Amino acid sequence: MGNVMSVSFAPECTEAKNKYDDCFNKWYTEKFLQGKSLNNECTEFWDTYITCVDVALAKQKIKPMLDKAREDQPFTTEEIRNSAGTSEK
Amino acid sequence: MKLFETDHYFNYPWDQVTAANWQKYPNPISSHVVSVDVLSRSIDVEKKTLRTERLIGCKQAIPSWLSFLVGGQEYSYVREVSEVDLVNKTLVMKTHNLTMNHLLLVNETVVYKPDPQLPTRTLFNQSAEFTAYASISRICDKIEDWSVERFGQNAKTGKMAFESVLQTLTEKWDESGIFVNDVSNTIMKEVNEVTEKTSDVLSEVKKLGIFRR
Repeated sequence: MGNVMSVSFAPECTEAKNKYDDCFNKWYTEKFLQGKSLNNECTEFWDTYITCVDVALAKQKIKPMLDKAREDQPFTTEEIRNSAGTSEK
Repeated sequence: MKLFETDHYFNYPWDQVTAANWQKYPNPISSHVVSVDVLSRSIDVEKKTLRTERLIGCKQAIPSWLSFLVGGQEYSYVREVSEVDLVNKTLVMKTHNLTMNHLLLVNETVVYKPDPQLPTRTLFNQSAEFTAYASISRICDKIEDWSVERFGQNAKTGKMAFESVLQTLTEKWDESGIFVNDVSNTIMKEVNEVTEKTSDVLSEVKKLGIFRR
């Protein structure tokens, strides 16, 4: 909220996460929402952040439950569109 | 299986609500949320949608009669998949618990869309399903009842929390003027509508000849 930023589940990834979040939030409000950009412009920050997250997910043994959850409930675009009431005929 | 559903209006435009959604945590009211991570994110250029998968870490107090089942785990994790649809102006979030889901599975769906009657506010619909898997059915009932009750309490504080986040962010956005164009466009549209209606009324009045001398 405001300048206070949320932390990562892995403390070692929080710094990279905050940099990525900052970039994303700026892009989202100033470009994406205004219809000015449909390109992810934060790839540099993203690569550093996700590399850190992937290592931590494996280390903290969250990866197996995550993989199972993804398999059990993929939450496909179709499911999401059904909930939104915008599914195509 | 037990169900829970609630509706609410946030007095902010849809685009602001979706932007605030990424910055909802941390907030003092939702102190049980300790971490938020993005696991994957993709853009569908053709459909103009943004899909995001997040991992949310919670510190949740559980009732003492349940703690023996979970072996005293301190943190629980939740997976959230969301899609922002710019064309249809919808934000859908689907969430389920990763931890303890062999005992109790909570499936939550949240939908945000502009109020068709009043586009300056946003309709929020939240629904959840609870399925308990423990082998003794009595415990299942009890867990489900407790979950629904607990979820209802959390849903209330969650709404309060988001209101305060929206207020803080809006103050910030008002200063920077990011959403000003949008707001002024909306106001202009409303002014135009009123002007149109006024001239309709005026021409009706003219036809009636009330003011003709």
